[in-house]
Amino acid sequence: MTAAPVTPAPPAAPAPQRPPRLSARAHKRLTAGPVFVGMIVVAIVMLYPFYYLLDNAFRNQSQYDLQHGHSTAGWTQLFQNLPVGSELLNSTIVCAAAILIILVVSTSSGFAFAKLRYRGSGTVFLLVVAALMVPLQSIIIPEYVNMAKFHLISSYTGAVLVYAALGTPFATFLMATYYRGISDELIEAAVMDGLSYERTFLQIALPLSLPAIATVTVLQFIQIWDDLLVGLLFLPTGDRTITVGLAALSSGRTTSIPVLMAGSLISALPAIVVYLIFQRHLVKGLTLGMGK
Amino acid sequence: MSASRLTRRRRRAGVLLSLPAVVLVAALLGVPIVQAIYYSMTSWNGLTSTWIGPSTYSTALTDPIFWRVIENNALLLLCIPFALGIPLAIAALLNEHVRGWRFFRSVYFLPTAVSWVVVGMVALQFFAASGSLNRLLADVGFGSSATDVLAGSHSALVALAITFVWSMLGTNTIIFLTGMATLDPTLIEAARVDGLGRGQIFFRVTLPLLTRFIQFAFVITVISAFSALFSLIFVMTGGGPGLGTTTLEFFVYQTGFAQGQFGTGALYGIILFVIMIFVGLVQLRLIRPADEEGS
Repeated sequence: MTAAPVTPAPPAAPAPQRPPRLSARAHKRLTAGPVFVGMIVVAIVMLYPFYYLLDNAFRNQSQYDLQHGHSTAGWTQLFQNLPVGSELLNSTIVCAAAILIILVVSTSSGFAFAKLRYRGSGTVFLLVVAALMVPLQSIIIPEYVNMAKFHLISSYTGAVLVYAALGTPFATFLMATYYRGISDELIEAAVMDGLSYERTFLQIALPLSLPAIATVTVLQFIQIWDDLLVGLLFLPTGDRTITVGLAALSSGRTTSIPVLMAGSLISALPAIVVYLIFQRHLVKGLTLGMGK
Repeated sequence: MSASRLTRRRRRAGVLLSLPAVVLVAALLGVPIVQAIYYSMTSWNGLTSTWIGPSTYSTALTDPIFWRVIENNALLLLCIPFALGIPLAIAALLNEHVRGWRFFRSVYFLPTAVSWVVVGMVALQFFAASGSLNRLLADVGFGSSATDVLAGSHSALVALAITFVWSMLGTNTIIFLTGMATLDPTLIEAARVDGLGRGQIFFRVTLPLLTRFIQFAFVITVISAFSALFSLIFVMTGGGPGLGTTTLEFFVYQTGFAQGQFGTGALYGIILFVIMIFVGLVQLRLIRPADEEGS
């Protein structure tokens, strides 16, 4: 867009006066304007859906049809059609329980794979991480039948376990990568001082890995909060998360659009807030995934 | 304390500490995949199964409906150049570090935090017959070209692909930005001194050095396109019109849970798994050389 063919040719500068190549700094000054405009255009495209959500969540049906005027009618209707409070609570409980399991198993196994190697531990580690490649849809049917057989789909338990299992491979990979960065001498010194390896993990390594724990928590929170498929199949109707409740509400195709927009807004808000506060942890999780 | 006793204690602690993760992953990811392979060769309704054998695969692979679904997956791949190219251009611009580039980076990455359900909900209104897209077209004088995008099977797939590209934009931009941050600035400077223009520098110096990051973004994007769009399809189109937007992952759900054919559903799941393994092997091949470099 810096050199669209329709723009009139710039006034011909006397060629001899121009240096053969612009210096890097001069070039930066010249391109800053167009680049900035381009950035704004992309930002508008990325933010438009959020504006649309906000704008239309505060309308009633006729205001929506006219795209004019605002009211809170949609919100009143939303709270009548969807148990928003209890579903937000369900989301919180399911997220917290699954993340707790993921943190317990991924920190301990990550430490073991990084620092307490035993015969075959390398292979075991590879197998655990390879489970990342299993798409949920490939196992969802047997998983559902198994969970039903063990009566785990009449409460939070089944969904929590599935979320925990799905999050564990990447979390373990991340934690192991992190613990590899801790020096062996530190661990050995603690053991020489009489600590058991288990206590060394709890008292020395675990506190050092708080940044990695934060990354895993943020990544998993957003993943689980936003998930539909597992919640849809493994949670009983009364224990639905907000994301599942919202999808169910929309699939009826009878709910008015402002109500759905209000619901979308309220379901998206917690994850957006977490993102805004902890975004560097998300970025770190992504770049660690690249093996950087 | 003797060294061998210490080693023994270390190994025992290692087994003990890694056990919970191994059990969890084995029980909930390992066992079901083996079951899925077994049940894919049976006729199964969730309660009773009848063994049929590998012939279920030849039956499935000769079913025209299956190929119609695979065609959707293949068509979806056509959006990959956009899903990579646009973020690459944006990353190149962000890398100029103009005023406020950190703010823009946060804005572009924001959709990562939003569920596919919400994204699908807004996209549904955007592409609807009376939605924002048609209103926008009318405002700029193209009112006559107003169409119900989601009513045509190919145009609905295009709408799905556009939504997907929009959602992946932040993730891929971050990947490319990370890559660009690893580049040695003296190389770029040397190219400039040699008299290369900006475009030439980008295509002949920067791009080749980013190969690994482009391949990583490619793999992530393909995996997402094939196995992360269930919720988006569920909310936006329900797989329709007809089979218009039913991809393999959605077909697994439809076959298993809507039609109750658990065996056939498991079979489609295994085919999806095989495709993912193929993509994963490509990724392993790409990442391994870099790992050796690092250790």
